[in-house]
Amino acid sequence: MDKADSIRSAYIDYLLTNGHRPASVFLFAKKLKLTEVAFYEQFNSFEQLESAIWLQFFEQARSTAEAEALYAQYSVREKLLSFYYTWIEVLKANRSFVLMTQAQVRQTGLRQARRIGAAFRRSFENYVTDLLLEGRESKEVAQRPFVIDRYPALFFGQALFVLNFWINDTSKGFEKTDSAIEKAVNTSFDLIGTSALDSVLDFAKFIYQNRP
Amino acid sequence: MKQQESIPTSKVARATRFMKTGVKIGGNYLKYNVKKFVDPSTTREELHNDNAEDIYESLSELKGSALKVAQMMSMDKNLLPRAYVDRFQMSQYSAPPLSAPLVVRTFRQALGKSPLELFDTFLMEAQNAASIGQVHLATKNGRKLAVKVQYPGVADSISSDLRMVRPMAVALFQLNEKDLDRYMGEVELRLLEETDYTLELRRGQEIAEACSFIPNLVFPRYYSDLSARRILTMDWLEGLHLREFLATNPSQEVRNQIGQAMWDFYDFQIHTLRQVHADPHPGNFMLRPDGTLGVIDFGCVKVIPEGYYENYFALLNPDTLEVEERVEEIFYNLEFIVPDDSARDKAFFRDLFVRMIQLLAKPFAVDAFDFGNNAYFEEVYALADELTKVEELKNSKVARGSQHGLYVNRTYFGLYSILNELRAEVTTTKPAWLTSRSLTATV
Repeated sequence: MDKADSIRSAYIDYLLTNGHRPASVFLFAKKLKLTEVAFYEQFNSFEQLESAIWLQFFEQARSTAEAEALYAQYSVREKLLSFYYTWIEVLKANRSFVLMTQAQVRQTGLRQARRIGAAFRRSFENYVTDLLLEGRESKEVAQRPFVIDRYPALFFGQALFVLNFWINDTSKGFEKTDSAIEKAVNTSFDLIGTSALDSVLDFAKFIYQNRP
Repeated sequence: MKQQESIPTSKVARATRFMKTGVKIGGNYLKYNVKKFVDPSTTREELHNDNAEDIYESLSELKGSALKVAQMMSMDKNLLPRAYVDRFQMSQYSAPPLSAPLVVRTFRQALGKSPLELFDTFLMEAQNAASIGQVHLATKNGRKLAVKVQYPGVADSISSDLRMVRPMAVALFQLNEKDLDRYMGEVELRLLEETDYTLELRRGQEIAEACSFIPNLVFPRYYSDLSARRILTMDWLEGLHLREFLATNPSQEVRNQIGQAMWDFYDFQIHTLRQVHADPHPGNFMLRPDGTLGVIDFGCVKVIPEGYYENYFALLNPDTLEVEERVEEIFYNLEFIVPDDSARDKAFFRDLFVRMIQLLAKPFAVDAFDFGNNAYFEEVYALADELTKVEELKNSKVARGSQHGLYVNRTYFGLYSILNELRAEVTTTKPAWLTSRSLTATV
């Protein structure tokens, strides 16, 4: 475990035991038997530390999903499904932390939530962009200029939906979240795949260009 | 994927479908009242037909447990016209297949390993859909296995589906809420049991072991170390489903042999085990050219309570029907007749139910019965049709018949219709106390 890792887990531990953020970096570092400088070498603030934790959840889910023997053979749709399932599994191990972050966001407002989620969002959108590129090659994703650039942001919205659904899920073993993921991903891929709409637009364009 | 898009899957979508039906039914009543005002000869019959049509339309789009309820109630209460019953039976539960990642996840959660690690081979593409899950083909140590994986959240959706179907069932069957609860409770219990594969595994093993002496029956072996609440692993049984099997033109001997195995199987379960594989759906049997019968899917098992058993089956002995006081007593016990009935009602329902039982118990009144005899089945259907037109039954405010009858009747209904399609001639073995004196006398 490197230094950043140990600070992260100590921080989660502190949050869960005390129910709030440490009063100061100084106090927290002292508890860890570190100097303040050693903390600041890794993180600038508690906020950034939390941001790093969310990013780490993502990275862990992504690498675990990709390590699955079948992953390489999956279609893009299945790859994203597989990511979500693993992500939820990672979050499950940290459910108390997630619930606490949510409660905290309620108090401090969305702006802070955006800052905490920023690093995760960037990496997730990069990941989705790669998937979409792959999907264009495998024809799972229709070519739609301009609109296609908005997809990663929309998928991030989907990830937040999944997260929120799971937070509020009361079913046994979070089975309903599994269904929600399945349906959300299937719907999104049905929407971004070639559909009747593409033919309609193409036809309309043709008529427009060939008007007398 | 195309087909699924038309099935409303979310609770909201399903609820809106029900609402649409509700609005339509309201419309039908309005139409009826207006028509009646203009033309007093308009009958309620017409209204029922309009309603049944709209309800069927919405239910057939719904699938899932709601459809199952409608299916069973219509079968049992003979209240829907026969044409609808046929259509209900044809439709089956259909849900979108699980994605490969979700299958992997289900395994990881339940058994800690991916299916590829647990089995030598595992086909990610489902072979077919079982009622609440899908079946995968796998192999391990040279054995071909069938692995059933259940859809997530099925148990939860059953209760909410049933809650949604309630108001409609009230309108459709004109029952009061209390009676409806009895039936619905029974259905809900069975459906919930079906979602627990560990229970199915245990029952499958128990019944298979108890029935192992019956000739020409084959049961799969179950693997408890490869099963969990939502995963069930068993041997892959070779064989054909009823329709496919009949298409191969099996000989009369083979058909009789299979029919006999099926009859003996049910005879033993009902009269000795007192618990019965209550889903004699053609999809649950594998028929083989050598005249053996494979039985799969023990999800729906009805345990027959002692009191119900003694009363109900006594009726199948033609001797019982001759003693009028005994019949009346049994009808009270089975709630075919209730204390509130007037003397006229009592006589009416008694005659009606005696006629029904005489017809349905015909195979029991003889030593051997030819189920290929279509005339018999026409008679049964004609009676069922007639029952739907009986005003007294339709307007009766109480539910007639015990809730246990729901599944027992369904079992016989399924058994008879499979034997009919098989055109099998069967020695109708039965316990001694059900054998009519007229039969024993000749021996």
